[in-house]
Amino acid sequence: MAVYRRNYRPYSGTLTPPWSRFLVLFRYSRRNLFRSKIQTGFFVLCFFYPLACLVMIYLAHSASFLAKLGLPSQLISIDNMFFFRYMSVQGALAFLMTAFAGPGLISPDLANGALPLYFCRPFSRAEYVLGKSSVLGILLSQITWVPGVILFTIQASFAGTTWTWDNLWIAGSLVVGSLIWIAILSLLAMALSAWVKWRIVAGASLLALMFFGAGFAQAINAVMHTDSGHFVDVAYLTAAVWIGLFKVDAENSITAFPALIALLVYCSICLWLLMRKVRAYEVIR
Amino acid sequence: MNDRIIFEDVSKFYGEILGVNRVNLSIPPGITSLVGPNGSGKTTLMNLMTGLVKPSRGRIEVLGYPTDDPENLFKFVGYSTQFDAFPKGLTGFQFIYSYLCLSGMPLQDAERTAWQAIERVTMVDAASRKVAAYSKGMRQRIRLAQALAHNPKVLVLDEPLNGLDPLARSEMIALFRASAAQGCYVIISSHILHEVDVISDQVILLSNGYVVAEGQIQTVRSEIQEHPTQILVRCDRPRELAAKLFESEYTIEASIHNDGRGLLLKTRDADRFYLAMNQLALNGIQIESIAPADDDVLSVYEYLIGNEEVVR
Repeated sequence: MAVYRRNYRPYSGTLTPPWSRFLVLFRYSRRNLFRSKIQTGFFVLCFFYPLACLVMIYLAHSASFLAKLGLPSQLISIDNMFFFRYMSVQGALAFLMTAFAGPGLISPDLANGALPLYFCRPFSRAEYVLGKSSVLGILLSQITWVPGVILFTIQASFAGTTWTWDNLWIAGSLVVGSLIWIAILSLLAMALSAWVKWRIVAGASLLALMFFGAGFAQAINAVMHTDSGHFVDVAYLTAAVWIGLFKVDAENSITAFPALIALLVYCSICLWLLMRKVRAYEVIR
Repeated sequence: MNDRIIFEDVSKFYGEILGVNRVNLSIPPGITSLVGPNGSGKTTLMNLMTGLVKPSRGRIEVLGYPTDDPENLFKFVGYSTQFDAFPKGLTGFQFIYSYLCLSGMPLQDAERTAWQAIERVTMVDAASRKVAAYSKGMRQRIRLAQALAHNPKVLVLDEPLNGLDPLARSEMIALFRASAAQGCYVIISSHILHEVDVISDQVILLSNGYVVAEGQIQTVRSEIQEHPTQILVRCDRPRELAAKLFESEYTIEASIHNDGRGLLLKTRDADRFYLAMNQLALNGIQIESIAPADDDVLSVYEYLIGNEEVVR
């Protein structure tokens, strides 16, 4: 065997910085994700609404074109409500994307008992979670705040400096609102993926959590004559935060700050659940 | 840097279940085998050694590094678990390559090193096939390749010979020996006792979470007082030899070998027995060979653990 001709020498080359190693997981997980044609198709579909918004921004600044069509020049208003609607549509798509892509992130590693293989490398549990969540984080960013900020920039280039400075906070709201939604979706999906090892069931559980959460909240409110039931509805809480961020006049029984605190609590619970499950060895009592 | 793997009063409990208890070890370079029945704590000991589980009590150091420092530890430690587990959808090459990238190797180095490791386990032809399509032996070999790909100084291998055919097994044993000869630490667990006996520089015997013996197997055997040492003497006149040996106080049992050309003896003091044998040889009995009959791992295992197993 070749081994007899070898002498022991450890690897002495340069190493990649520890902070960048989670990107290895990102690369592999993302590649696996886009092997599915349905997934790729849905990802493309997610850009249709931003394209429509782009057309609307263009039209809003083409008074002559609107006049030719016989439409009033003030038909389309590009303001905080416009971007709030954009967030609502893209947020819903982000949720569907998560339900599709999220459950397959951790459950296969757990089902195949592959976690010890990751952790017998210079690679921590936190980096593993970061690597897996970066797949969703980057994917969802690509369909939420990134096109949103691009739309805002295009609108700013049309509308001029005054509009830009007056409405710069909208860009901040787009980024912050998206990041909150991405964080809660990613953590929920991964926690479910870790605890429900069967991928399809994990996906269904995420859908159920959202839809039954809303139903359960309504039931609590009706039975107990309160509005506190909405605290179990993650989508409602996120909407409350977005309404606050985009300064939209909308009916909501919970204000942005308590909703944000509730979402942070949910994120913490998800993280705790994840760290309980993402271990080199599962102790079964 | 300390040159040993040290366990200091280490215990691991899984809730109320005992993993290992009060383990004190100092493992030198070479091939060290962990031997014990199922549930004796071999895998727990390996997981503790690699920091995959944390000890409930005590301190572990691998070549001077604590096991809760994976960034430094896994630069020189390679671990192959006993589980037939792989991430989904990877080829043999991708399996090795991706984990080398996780270890921090730049892509080009990782590719070159992955091929070297695949070559070491003679899997080059199958490297581009998916791991899911491998036979059990091939899966075992590719797992070994991922453990030794980054040329670790400490190689921890849980049941590495399981599922291998005799040829692959001898190749792997050669590989372990070559690593040990280079000053590496090869820690293996195995149920195949005769192979453990052949390849190990030292053994650690475990039972019910406790270390029951450690060290070179002959030294361990000599310390087991309640079981007299068995010695096989090949000679031309076994009956005459038996009669003369019973005149000394060191022989407590003798039986004629099946072929009638040897004597199986039991003694409580092997050193003095050998001196007595020298005298007898000088007195005209033709002695062809004298060899201990029970200083192998199997005998020691039976003496120290076998009875306990029967009682359980």
